[in-house]
Amino acid sequence: MTNPKNGASPRRNRKPTAFRIDDRRVQEPLEEAETLERDRAPVAGSPAEAGPRVDQARRFGWGKLFAIGAGGLLSLGFGLAIDALIRDLFTRNDWLGWAGVVLAAMVALGLFGLALREIGSLLRLKRIDELRMTLAEAADGDDEKRARQGLAELIQLYKARPETAAGRRQLREHMREIIDGRDLVTLAERDLLSPLDARARRIVTDSAKRVSVVTAVSPRAIVDLLMVLYENFRLIRRLSDLYGGRPGFLGFLRLFRKVVTHLAVTGGMAAGDSLVSQLLGHGLAARLSARLGEGVVNGLLTARIGIAAIDVCRPAPFVSGRGPTVSDVTAELFRSDPQAKALLEEVENAGGKDA
Amino acid sequence: MARRPFLARVADEARYAIDNLSEYATDLAVPTVRLGVTGLARSGKTVFISALIHNLMHGGRLPLFDVASSGRLAKAMLEPQPDDDVPRFDVEAHVAALVDERVWPESTRQVSELRLTIEYESAEFFSRTFGRGRLHLDIVDYPGEWLLDLPLLDKDYREFSQEALATANKANRRNLAVDYLALLAGADPAAEARENTARELSAVYRRYLAACRADEHSLSMLPPGRFLMPGDLEGSPALTFAPLDIGEDAGPFRHGSLAAMMERRFEAYKTHVVRPFFRDHFARLDRQIVLVDALHALNAGPSALADLEAALGEILTAFRPGRASWLFSVLSRRIDRILFAATKADHLNREDHDRLENILARLVERGARHAKFHGADVEVMAIAAVRATREASVKANGDKLPAILGTPLPGEVVDGETYDGETEIALFPGDLPDNLDDLFAGDAVSAPDVRFVRFRPPKLERTAEGVSLSLPHIRLDRALQFLLGDRLA
Repeated sequence: MTNPKNGASPRRNRKPTAFRIDDRRVQEPLEEAETLERDRAPVAGSPAEAGPRVDQARRFGWGKLFAIGAGGLLSLGFGLAIDALIRDLFTRNDWLGWAGVVLAAMVALGLFGLALREIGSLLRLKRIDELRMTLAEAADGDDEKRARQGLAELIQLYKARPETAAGRRQLREHMREIIDGRDLVTLAERDLLSPLDARARRIVTDSAKRVSVVTAVSPRAIVDLLMVLYENFRLIRRLSDLYGGRPGFLGFLRLFRKVVTHLAVTGGMAAGDSLVSQLLGHGLAARLSARLGEGVVNGLLTARIGIAAIDVCRPAPFVSGRGPTVSDVTAELFRSDPQAKALLEEVENAGGKDA
Repeated sequence: MARRPFLARVADEARYAIDNLSEYATDLAVPTVRLGVTGLARSGKTVFISALIHNLMHGGRLPLFDVASSGRLAKAMLEPQPDDDVPRFDVEAHVAALVDERVWPESTRQVSELRLTIEYESAEFFSRTFGRGRLHLDIVDYPGEWLLDLPLLDKDYREFSQEALATANKANRRNLAVDYLALLAGADPAAEARENTARELSAVYRRYLAACRADEHSLSMLPPGRFLMPGDLEGSPALTFAPLDIGEDAGPFRHGSLAAMMERRFEAYKTHVVRPFFRDHFARLDRQIVLVDALHALNAGPSALADLEAALGEILTAFRPGRASWLFSVLSRRIDRILFAATKADHLNREDHDRLENILARLVERGARHAKFHGADVEVMAIAAVRATREASVKANGDKLPAILGTPLPGEVVDGETYDGETEIALFPGDLPDNLDDLFAGDAVSAPDVRFVRFRPPKLERTAEGVSLSLPHIRLDRALQFLLGDRLA
């Protein structure tokens, strides 16, 4: 309580003064659009983010050297091949040559578009990461200015999403009042993000359910392996789309890597909170039926990946409450949904008959 | 504590226990929370209660008050209060003054009470299934000055006289007390008791206390509290006494002397005024909010600030904070949450709110520590129950000043210009200090150059249907969440 908080400017001894309201120097707070523009500017160049990126760019690696060389050679080779092809086409027939040129131009244009989209998606992901950092700092330091910046960004991020209209409107109203930094972030979580969180949880549960059922009924191991892979990729993608990331191919790879890292980091914690019950559950399930056990394990894996993906994709940290946990999902997965339960039981019965 | 006879204390405690026991029984049907609202004169008690009730009843914007923002608050309505012998808080008149006439309501003169019944839906399974979904909120409003009397319970007349005279002789008060000290010089404690002398002494002493409280001095440490707010005891012997100049080693007072009469009246004051208040109102509170107008004291200078600190220290030792165990909660109530609120935060731009909070935290440091030690939750906040200003920035001399926009009350003066109560101005009130040690050092050089002006209540916007919107506020919702949030979970 006794330290001035981060947001406060240093104290100066300025004389109290009164101004007439029609004085040209008196300015009411800016209109919202301007506030958004003004608030957004400083976030982009936030010093906390600039540090590590410089280091990364500067680092020298043999692999990088190899990649640059190989990439260059490959593209030269492609260019040469296309060039040769078009020359060949021209020697054969003029119109064939022109058709070749047009096709090559389409390829080039398409490539350009793809690259643009990839860059856009990478930037978007980076923006979300930065936003999460801003909001986390604002919540930790109870810093009103940073919270306002973050909220303005958040509103901007979901501007094109009609289903968040109510939340954005509420948030804008909150921003007009005097509310502390931490509380602002809490409000953003509650009013704008909680509907998205509910849907994210739904998505994770659905995926986990599908994976466990398919694993339990699939005839071949390779089928459920592919299914698990496919379903998990789709899960990460859908979550990222939901929170506004919309990753392209490269963006997706980056996201995937982050999810796996996050999983490795938080894995220990998650193991701690529910290891006993999970082990007990698996043991029981596996004893009942090997296939059902596998289904449960794969479902849990999917749930865990989903939770990690939520943490990575969400543009804000969980401030007021804890985020969804694996046990939330599994609870819904195996207990409260009679359909899944019935399905699992059916599978179990069928398995029993086969044997 | 040693001075109060042991038996009297046991008897007091037994009475509190019996009262609480019967209340506990009624609580089983519908739970009750008794919220004490106090603060020294003009700290904004009446406005706080009016705004609280208005916002709860009219669905005000309370985003941080969970029960309201999540839509679980079904209804809040006024109900007859449980204590028939306590005046009712006249909320209708106060709200009308605020909203329709745009004047601040009249101040608290005596203890008053109001019951607000809140119907809500609990978010927890157990209480949703088995609870009644109702909570009686009994708001008890009492002048903070009366709290300054509570320490008197443990003092006798000699101690009281010595302390009162020592205070009156302090540098910042001697000028105000000059009449009284002169009169005292001519009064012999051992002389024959005369009603006229007593009345004269008492009247002059009261004038001195009133002078201390006036705007330009804004001192706070002024016991006995009823001298300034006599209520219905005006003129009774229990209020017609004054401290006398009694030597350290004077023997027992001679029967029939002036000193003996004064001592008897002082004891009567304790028995008939202080103790009933403590028993009937103070010992039964669950939650307490202490409103402090730190800005007013800052305006008046360092001695007012030091005096405010002393007064708050006295007040806070009077509380019975702590977390009573479930078993003992049947017998004795404890205040388990205390909120210290620096009111009138709307007189500052938001940039200075943190500094205001720090100043308040420093003012109530002693009391807060005491309360925390006993296990109560304590929080400090800068709030404005009714927000009378808007924020703006002013470019002046190449600097951007954080200012506020509002309509000053008629008669307020800034830079020699007197306002009529209709013109709106932008005011930069000055910077609050970061370094509190300078501020509390008490010399005039380091005193911050600040000027706070009283503004008129805000003009309420009306929707197209003619429904008036709720009163704007600053952090009232957070205050409510702290005070009541857990009871409405």
